[in-house]
Amino acid sequence: MLEVKHLSKIYDDGTHALNDISFEVKDGEFLVVIGLSGSGKSTLLRCINRLIEPTSGQVIWDGQDVTAADPSQLRRVRRQIGMIFQHFNLVKRLPVLTNVLTGRLGYVSAARSILGRWSGADRARAMANLELVGIANKAHNRADELSGGQQQRVGIARALMQDPKLLLADEPVASLDPATSHSVMKYIEQLNREMGVTVLCSLHFLSLARTYATRIIALKDGVIVFDGGPLDIDDARFREIYGEEAVEVEIR
Amino acid sequence: MSQADSLPRTSHNPTLATLLSLIVPGSGQAYTGKRERGLLILLTAGVLIFLLGWLNLWVLAPLALPFWLWQAWEARLYAQGRNPGTMRLVLSIALLVYAIGWQVTQIDLSRVITSAPKVVPFVTGLVQPSYFDRQIDTTSIPAAIQIPCGTTPNLSSATDTGPTMRLSAACANPGDRITISGAGFPADTEGEIWFQNAIGDRARARGTDGLLAFVADENGAFSIDALMPVVANSDPQTHRLEAQYVTRVGPLGLSETSRLVIGRMGETIAQALMATTLGAILAVFISFFAARNLMRVNPATLAVYYVTRTLLNILRAVEPLIMAIVFVVWVGLGPFAGVLALTVHSIAALGKLYSEAIESIEPGPIEAITATGANRLQVIWFGVLPQVWPPFIAFTVYRWDINVRMSTIIGFVGGGGIGFLLQQWIRLTDFRAAGAAIWAIALVVIALDFLSSEVRKRVV
Repeated sequence: MLEVKHLSKIYDDGTHALNDISFEVKDGEFLVVIGLSGSGKSTLLRCINRLIEPTSGQVIWDGQDVTAADPSQLRRVRRQIGMIFQHFNLVKRLPVLTNVLTGRLGYVSAARSILGRWSGADRARAMANLELVGIANKAHNRADELSGGQQQRVGIARALMQDPKLLLADEPVASLDPATSHSVMKYIEQLNREMGVTVLCSLHFLSLARTYATRIIALKDGVIVFDGGPLDIDDARFREIYGEEAVEVEIR
Repeated sequence: MSQADSLPRTSHNPTLATLLSLIVPGSGQAYTGKRERGLLILLTAGVLIFLLGWLNLWVLAPLALPFWLWQAWEARLYAQGRNPGTMRLVLSIALLVYAIGWQVTQIDLSRVITSAPKVVPFVTGLVQPSYFDRQIDTTSIPAAIQIPCGTTPNLSSATDTGPTMRLSAACANPGDRITISGAGFPADTEGEIWFQNAIGDRARARGTDGLLAFVADENGAFSIDALMPVVANSDPQTHRLEAQYVTRVGPLGLSETSRLVIGRMGETIAQALMATTLGAILAVFISFFAARNLMRVNPATLAVYYVTRTLLNILRAVEPLIMAIVFVVWVGLGPFAGVLALTVHSIAALGKLYSEAIESIEPGPIEAITATGANRLQVIWFGVLPQVWPPFIAFTVYRWDINVRMSTIIGFVGGGGIGFLLQQWIRLTDFRAAGAAIWAIALVVIALDFLSSEVRKRVV
């Protein structure tokens, strides 16, 4: 279970990105965070594994206070939390397979990983995960030779290497076309349904959120303005979240 | 309304403004409210007067007139509420500044023409680099002589074939004049006459006009007078006079100059290689401390960043030639001093370039690798290095190219390499050898330039 308590983030330039946010995520949930650009979605996700240091408040993961963890505890927490990104964040010059293997870095020693002495089991799992997302044939290509959708699938395979209990997905489909978006979302859904990975995913489009979420949180100006089921967002709620002039665009 | 517009908008007196500026430059501007400009003009005038006095260039004072008059006129324009612009002020100052510069650097274009003959030997040497020559063969034709005269000088006569040399007497006393006649020499041969005493000491023989040299005529004959030297022993002894000349034989081969140039050029390239490699290794290490994006973690690391950056900036400001002088004093003459100087400079230059390459990497992959629970070393290895090695290699190869160029000069101050030979040959006015060195430098530099640009094209 993930508990977020009174979380706030004020950037050095004075921006209040998160304002006293509290919520819980139960194991196995597919929680989608929606909101406009700049509403604090990315900051929220990054505060959970402390890629961004929160200014105040607590993040508690499986009973452990992540915000109080020392560097080695923090690394142990991070390795259980997979993360995928809007811009995929693959290491472009490295082969796809190596990119996937970097998901194991939290589990292997620095020396072994630097010398490239990955265990046979890790290699086999990396290939299996690539198989799972349907791009095993690209294992030895350089990462930047792949299309956007393929790169995001590599990102998912990398996150899978961590044996994640929680997957943070920061706008995973915002750089992809609608058809590819659905295929990537389906893989994430598969992790959630079949492997029991809790998912915390930020999305732009309400239609995607309605399709995949078991629960939706809406952020506006760093504050939670909605927390409920995917079908509870009616027109009035929508305008509250996205502003009076917004029109809902549907992704099919 | 329109009348009001055409009236001066300020209440300052134009004549007074002009007069003030004529007496104290800039004061008229200050009077019309243009204080900063007035101060600037006053300071400029002060600096220019100081320069003229310090350098004793009062001759140039008339050239200050445009500046002086224009700034006074400018004060008048300001008083009238008009905008004089800045162009003419700058031009009037530039006139004086360039005049001073011209004097200080002693520019004298006529010398370029009138002294042209002085450079002719150099250019001649440059177009005839002494890469190849023939083997030298020295021929000596002897003739014996007894000094002082004894009873019966019994001297073996010269051979019948080839060049022969005969003396006008078989014996002589010190100070006597002996006529040497040569025959059968190659036509137009130039050579020297040497004297070898009984115990084998050799010296150039002397004539009435100093050291003896001969020139054979078209038939291979010559005749020349020699003065017999004082010898140590007063008993009659047999000494030898020799006509010696040099012929070039055999096919053209690599000259001694070429051998030296090739050897020292190898030393130069090796120097550059060692300095670049050592410098690059240390610079890679240092560059991580000089990359802002990696050192932003906390105030302590940020302090390390500033210290590293400052050190690199200071080191880079010192020319390698100056460093070479320091290291020659430190570790002595030779290529090692040059390697050290180039290494230090390479660290400074590469450290900056590398750290800038690190600063321009994408943060995304680093974020992703960090999120997997990787430690700092793993983040650098997998998130940073793959992004920076192509620019690192490109910068390093380029640096090697620069280092070869620099190590050719570093020899001038004793840092080893081909520069050492070049400056020796220039001092000895052996311009053909200097030419050989210069062409070799040009060739190697051009070749490396090409090579490094090819490598850079491939890796980036």
